[in-house]
Amino acid sequence: MMERPSGARLHARLIWRRNRGQVGLFVLLLVLLGVYAYLHPGLLTWAGIARFTQNWFPVALVAIAQTLVMLMGGIDLAIGAMVSLGTVLAATLVGESVLGAGLGMAATVAIGVVAGGLVGTIVALFGLPAIIVTLSSSFLIGGAALLVMARPGGSMPTWLSEGLVGVHPTALLILVVILIAWRVLRATPLGLAIDASGDNPAGAFRSGVNVAAARITAYAISGGLAAFTGVYVAAQTGAGDPLIGGPLTLQSITAAVLGGVGFLGGQGTIRGAVAGSLLLAVLVNVMFFMGLPPVAQYVMQGLIIVAAMGIKRLRERAA
Amino acid sequence: MRSAAPVLAARGLSKRFFGNPVLNDVSIDIVPGRVHALLGENGAGKSTLVNLLSGVLAPDGGAIVVDGQEHAKLTPALARSFGIAVVQQELSLAPHLSVVENVALGAVPTRHGLIDYGRLAQEVSAVLGRLGLQVELDQPVEELPLGKRQLVEIAKALYRRPRVLILDEPTSSLTAHEVKALFDVLDQLGREGVALVYISHRLNEVMRLCGWVTVLKDGTRTSDQTLDGVDPHALVRLMVGREPGDLFPRFRSTARAEAALDIEGLQATGLRSVDLAVRKGEVLGVGGLLGQGQEELLLAIYGAIDARAGRFRAGEADRTTRDPVDAIARGLAYVPADRKREAVLLPLSIGFNLTLPGLRQFAKHGFRRFKEEAQVARNLMENLTVRGGGPERPVQLLSGGNQQKVALARWLPLSPSVLLLNDPTRGVDVDTKREIYLRLRAMAAEGVAVVLLSSDALELVHLCDRVLVFREGAVAADLPHGVATEEAIVAASLGVGERVAA
Repeated sequence: MMERPSGARLHARLIWRRNRGQVGLFVLLLVLLGVYAYLHPGLLTWAGIARFTQNWFPVALVAIAQTLVMLMGGIDLAIGAMVSLGTVLAATLVGESVLGAGLGMAATVAIGVVAGGLVGTIVALFGLPAIIVTLSSSFLIGGAALLVMARPGGSMPTWLSEGLVGVHPTALLILVVILIAWRVLRATPLGLAIDASGDNPAGAFRSGVNVAAARITAYAISGGLAAFTGVYVAAQTGAGDPLIGGPLTLQSITAAVLGGVGFLGGQGTIRGAVAGSLLLAVLVNVMFFMGLPPVAQYVMQGLIIVAAMGIKRLRERAA
Repeated sequence: MRSAAPVLAARGLSKRFFGNPVLNDVSIDIVPGRVHALLGENGAGKSTLVNLLSGVLAPDGGAIVVDGQEHAKLTPALARSFGIAVVQQELSLAPHLSVVENVALGAVPTRHGLIDYGRLAQEVSAVLGRLGLQVELDQPVEELPLGKRQLVEIAKALYRRPRVLILDEPTSSLTAHEVKALFDVLDQLGREGVALVYISHRLNEVMRLCGWVTVLKDGTRTSDQTLDGVDPHALVRLMVGREPGDLFPRFRSTARAEAALDIEGLQATGLRSVDLAVRKGEVLGVGGLLGQGQEELLLAIYGAIDARAGRFRAGEADRTTRDPVDAIARGLAYVPADRKREAVLLPLSIGFNLTLPGLRQFAKHGFRRFKEEAQVARNLMENLTVRGGGPERPVQLLSGGNQQKVALARWLPLSPSVLLLNDPTRGVDVDTKREIYLRLRAMAAEGVAVVLLSSDALELVHLCDRVLVFREGAVAADLPHGVATEEAIVAASLGVGERVAA
């Protein structure tokens, strides 16, 4: 006879199922972290952990943002521009007082949510390919950033920078909060709708899921996360920079792909993307300690994307 | 029970796709507690009618009546709120999600805004138990075999406690045991007063399950009656029957003695060991329900999909075709069904399209000779009566039928010995059809062996020397001209009874 699990048990088993395919990734991650800790013993100190997470954090955030769009079968080429816009908005809007800082950050994230939602609306309602819409919006958003601030400038309150990027793992904490928030969202009908709409849009539509709303929500959350990344980067550098986000677009795609997110939609998890971004950060650091020039990063990222997709393809063909 | 008012009804529904009528003034009454069979050949409009009733498509005319209330159209959400559920032929499951999530998708129980996994486990287990489906609730659907996925699809419909349940070919990949469990559930649902609509090509299932039948033919309703006292042969007769008129040229066989193609034990995905011999000048028809291996047969011969064969003689060589380039060199030409995507280059000129396959032949020292090409193009256009302007016009300005003529004519300069045609007259107007038929017979008379895959049974009846009817990837019947009536072809494709007149 078929046993019937309790609700909590069923939920736990569903989460475990989604993790199962990623055990290899986590093992690889631990091994690389070990290698890195061996090469750079300073990592395992309080300050070392804080500094490392701060370097990694922006990539983790944009990897999540990218994954949300890729789960919908799209790709977001405007993430870097959105981060840039986030830094200049934060450096302009965030005030010295606690209230002023809070309002400024909220406004920055809200602008990101609206921009993401607009892109999502165009993709979902007009059926335009995400790659085209986000490519053009990368110029629109990047241009807006340059209009706000033609060259690096503005400022962030010192206490805020100290709070976010001082010698304490605030970044790690925020990341955990985001992961928990996603876990909660995934346990709502909307979260399920987002997953289902990426996996089989026609089937989800026929099942009565509001696919357009799910898509727009995913893009809006993605935009908000990218803008928040901008706030964090501004706190790191102490100023806004209209071009600083550029490299993050490629990094977000690399991290997502490393974490097992597919280009066709419905394939991959947020957790995987975070693990992928950590893997990427460790790789970059290890390369740095091996004395490779920074440009080698680009070569590595290009190779990673093609290799990861190639391996996935070969495995699918074998199956 | 008989006098019960219909819960769902269609009143004079019409639907067109790109100007082609697919459904014309169709009415149907769906009554609680009755299992209603919806029958018709390929492309008769069954799926379109289901899509209209479930709100996936909006009708161009007519109305949908739910509980006596008229609606110009439904949406999927509205249909669901009325209790209309559909088990689609193409699966609507999200492959990476689990069984429970798929069954409840779009109707998940919640508590405080979160998914109520406790109720989910309980309710989904109950539905799966009813169908006798033994799977782990948390198993991703992609890991299940096709038959179980189909049952999950059915569970998904049952989960919503429908008042109207529409099943489109629900048993196509179920085992006999699973079919029996499904039928028990359907019988019980009928007793509980659920209105059921059952679409199937398996007439024995229809006879076993259904009490009423509506037959569609070319988008119109041709009968609507009780199934009491109707036998399978009578059902087949309800589904066929149409006047051929003078659409077809008088049949006169031009088959010669020599074989053009001699194949034994051809195997490929979707194709189980097929023997096939075509003589020069013969027109061989290939028919059956959609997707029974007919298209795979043509593609395997043409080398477009991997295939194995015990014997494969075409021209001098005895080996399977490696790829389309090899096929063309062996004198095999293929005209695909989707001419716009796979055959012609729409924005380019008629002339260029016509000369492209034979371009190398017309060239001299590696350079094209435009005068020669223009002459060839003009001859071909004349030969196939391509209408719609001169050879310099882009192909996309031509009508569908004339595009099809271009797709066919472009092979002629290569003088193929075997012509493989994939449904060449689909979506083509009557006059152009007649011209294509004449041209096909003329080419056969010149000694070309023609393999004609068609979804139109009348073409098979009136044009072909012989008709192979496919069923589940194999030849179900080999009917010579005269024996191959529309009724015999439909009966063979449905697997009804023995072969009519041996």
